[in-house]
Amino acid sequence: MDALADQRGVTLRESFMTRAFAARAGGGGRRRLVAIAWIALLLAILAFLVIYPVMMLVIGALTDSNPVVDGLAGLHPSLDNFLTVLANPNVHAALANSLICCGGGTALALAIGLTFSWIVVRTNTPCKRFIAAASMLPLFVPPLVAGVAWVILGSPKTGLINTVFKWFGIEFRVDLYTMSGMIFVFGIYYAPYVYMFTASALRNMDPSLEEASEIAGATPLATLFTVTFPLILPAIISGMLLSFVVMLGIYGIPAVLGAPANISVLTTYIFKLTAWSPPLYNTAAAVAIILMVVTGFLVWLQHRVVSGRSYATVAGKAFRPRNLDLGPWRWLTLALAVAYLFVVVVLPTLALIITAFRKFMFIRDFASLIDPRQYSLVHFQAVFDNPLTMRSIWNTLEVGTITAVLGGTLAFAIGYTIHRTQLSGRRTLDLLSSLPVAIPGLVIGVAYLWAWIAVPGGLYGTIWILALAFVARFMPDTVKALSTSFMQIHRELEEAAWVCGRGLLSTIRTIVLPIASPGVIAAMTLLFVLAIRELGSSLFLYTSDSTVMAVLLLDYYEGGNTGKTAAFSLVQTAILAVLIGTAHWVSRGVSQSSIGRAG
Amino acid sequence: MTRRSVIIAGLAAVAMAASLAAPATAQEFGSPELIAAAKKEGKLVYYTANFAEVEQEVINAFNKRFPEIRVEMVRAPGGQLITRVKTEAAANKLSADVVDHSDRALMVDLVDLFQDYAPPNAADYVPEAMISPKLWPRATLVWSIAYNSELAKKPPKSFADLTKPDYGNKQIGQVIAASGGTTWTRIMFERQVLGEGYWAKQAATNPVLFPSGAPMADAIVRGEVTMGPILYNAIYPKKRDGAPVEMVFAPEGAPVNPYASGVPKTAAHPNAAKLFLNWCLSKEGQTFMIKQLGNLTSLKVAPVYPEGFDPKVVKVWLPDFAQYVKLHHDWVEDWNKVYNYRQ
Repeated sequence: MDALADQRGVTLRESFMTRAFAARAGGGGRRRLVAIAWIALLLAILAFLVIYPVMMLVIGALTDSNPVVDGLAGLHPSLDNFLTVLANPNVHAALANSLICCGGGTALALAIGLTFSWIVVRTNTPCKRFIAAASMLPLFVPPLVAGVAWVILGSPKTGLINTVFKWFGIEFRVDLYTMSGMIFVFGIYYAPYVYMFTASALRNMDPSLEEASEIAGATPLATLFTVTFPLILPAIISGMLLSFVVMLGIYGIPAVLGAPANISVLTTYIFKLTAWSPPLYNTAAAVAIILMVVTGFLVWLQHRVVSGRSYATVAGKAFRPRNLDLGPWRWLTLALAVAYLFVVVVLPTLALIITAFRKFMFIRDFASLIDPRQYSLVHFQAVFDNPLTMRSIWNTLEVGTITAVLGGTLAFAIGYTIHRTQLSGRRTLDLLSSLPVAIPGLVIGVAYLWAWIAVPGGLYGTIWILALAFVARFMPDTVKALSTSFMQIHRELEEAAWVCGRGLLSTIRTIVLPIASPGVIAAMTLLFVLAIRELGSSLFLYTSDSTVMAVLLLDYYEGGNTGKTAAFSLVQTAILAVLIGTAHWVSRGVSQSSIGRAG
Repeated sequence: MTRRSVIIAGLAAVAMAASLAAPATAQEFGSPELIAAAKKEGKLVYYTANFAEVEQEVINAFNKRFPEIRVEMVRAPGGQLITRVKTEAAANKLSADVVDHSDRALMVDLVDLFQDYAPPNAADYVPEAMISPKLWPRATLVWSIAYNSELAKKPPKSFADLTKPDYGNKQIGQVIAASGGTTWTRIMFERQVLGEGYWAKQAATNPVLFPSGAPMADAIVRGEVTMGPILYNAIYPKKRDGAPVEMVFAPEGAPVNPYASGVPKTAAHPNAAKLFLNWCLSKEGQTFMIKQLGNLTSLKVAPVYPEGFDPKVVKVWLPDFAQYVKLHHDWVEDWNKVYNYRQ
């Protein structure tokens, strides 16, 4: 009955909305033209930002030429290049390594993420808010920084962990220059993706289902595995697929951990193809297409899972998530959380601090590790003596701000059109704005260069081209982040504004934007952070005036300066922490003021 | 005596007392008109495949002489830099005033992009270090053997030592053949000078492979690997700063790789670009790069040699450029097979 009433309510509301839209579009043909023009404008922007570069990538994969140098007339499209790549055993090995590495990493991320979401949402473990906040920290660590930190910790010969083991007389040695090492680092850093999905599903799940299970005699553990987890399975699968897709596109971690053992994954293989002398871009583009196909399939699968079942457990009535009283065991869950944070936050940060302050990273023994004469500020001095450092910081902040504002605005427009209007063409918008998630940054960088270098008006060579690349690349993340905010705003509020005679823009300005503003700020912050971290698409677009921090960090790393890499990583981390803290503070302020206005 | 050995003799040995010249004056780097025009331009954009930090030191030294000229650098790995230059040039948007690259085989295809240019001391350079009258050996890098002095109890003294089973089990590091022009020079040297079987014997020690020389230099300092053949300029600054490393120049020879640097026809700041290259190619610039960065030089008479380099003992080896271009593809493939490197 409830479901039927809900359904009737939805139908009535849709009918009301259609009428409201019609009323607003009552100007007749002119209004319709405006709507068509609006969709056409958004589609044109996405075509420029997404389709055009992807086309260049496909052209690159199907030829042996540079589309800009040889011109479209000089291209000889054929499948040969692509077929050669498909037949290359090294590509097979890189693909297999990618699947094993990301599969293993996802399994570990699942174990960690699911455990933490259960601890935070469903138990009475102490300090839950702290655990929830701290467990998201790995998301903000650039992969190259994470990789470098774990090389310092887990190298078989010189790793700090092994130095400490040796000092304690422990024979066991850690070796992260292995497939299992990469799986470990992937798993601990990408667990937050699984956590985000599963924690939200656990929060929204009706606890009466679990209560019914326990009344029927099941133990709490049996209930967890036979009722709770199966019910949030779509969220689990969704989180797993997302973390798998993200890992598949990561370069930094396999680059530093896999290289010493000659283990290539698709991203490191692509990077090598572009860096070898002579560079093999067309081959890189063809390998990237393989990566895109795998990623695209997984993204499609995730969409299917999310749209199919994810809300089935969310009932239409209010409830509070049930907290399981763990008794004394709650200290064990707290210890687990603290151990995770120690491994994923404290240890790598400590490694970076030691490396950044130590003159040379040759550590003979434990006594040498704690010898204060070995430490100095020399790497920080060198980093700040380099004029590129300050320029890269300013450029990064500038490009991050432009990206956040431009990307946030565009994502708001796209998100609103997709979720709050019935305009035809919105599904195409949805598809186009999701497409970049499947494109690896390393190769799309050169596609952006090929696509945009000839754009008139001096775009190339400015930080605007970087900002556009970031806006395009992170469009799916931003639209997705904003969509959640749109979904949370009840349509009744807009309908009320329309009834009161407000126009569409006025409704957005006075109703939607104020309520969605915490979400908008969160999405812009996310975009800002992603832009600061982004390396792949920066590599071909920066110029002497527009060097960014990620490029300089790679330069320090490739230049064999572990100390300066660590020092600059700490600088980058500190800047990110300040920015995220400020954004969080602003977001809270806005949130409180919107609640105030709403009240 | 062959023409090549004359060149080698010119590069490496011959008489020269260290730089006894009087302090340089600004005019040695160009005519007063060029210097005035360069100062008026006030800046130049410098594309290089060398490491940014190393080149920043060069820029700082140039700016001590010419503080009025700002050098903006774009640094990228060799393959990526070439793609960028080609693409920008095709779109008429090449923003470089100077392009500086280690792989002369890649640069030879781009010669038409460059304008006529020669430094004031052009006649002092070994002609065979050049692939075109427009492109100059601004930097000349030399291979050495380095080891961690805390770890190597019996340090290697020659390339032949790097095939000894005693140094097996990942003690030796090696830079991969496809990494760029400088490594390709070493690969050629190993096969042509050390013998056809050298790679197989060396690969049997199970070395750790590195994508380029700089991370390998860091790995030697940290003790990740104990030793290996390495560009002298990649490890020298670390020794200078006190790292536990030592280097030797092997008696079998020292492979050298001259860069190719030139001024594009489209340079927006051609005078500043020429002045910068003039300074780099001058005795003062070359001396700075040898003493501070650990380079060698392609000047016929070297103003000074890197520490430990005795031209009477160490034979400089410069590859034949025709073979440098012709053999590259097949030999890199052979190397990959011998070292089981996936490319």
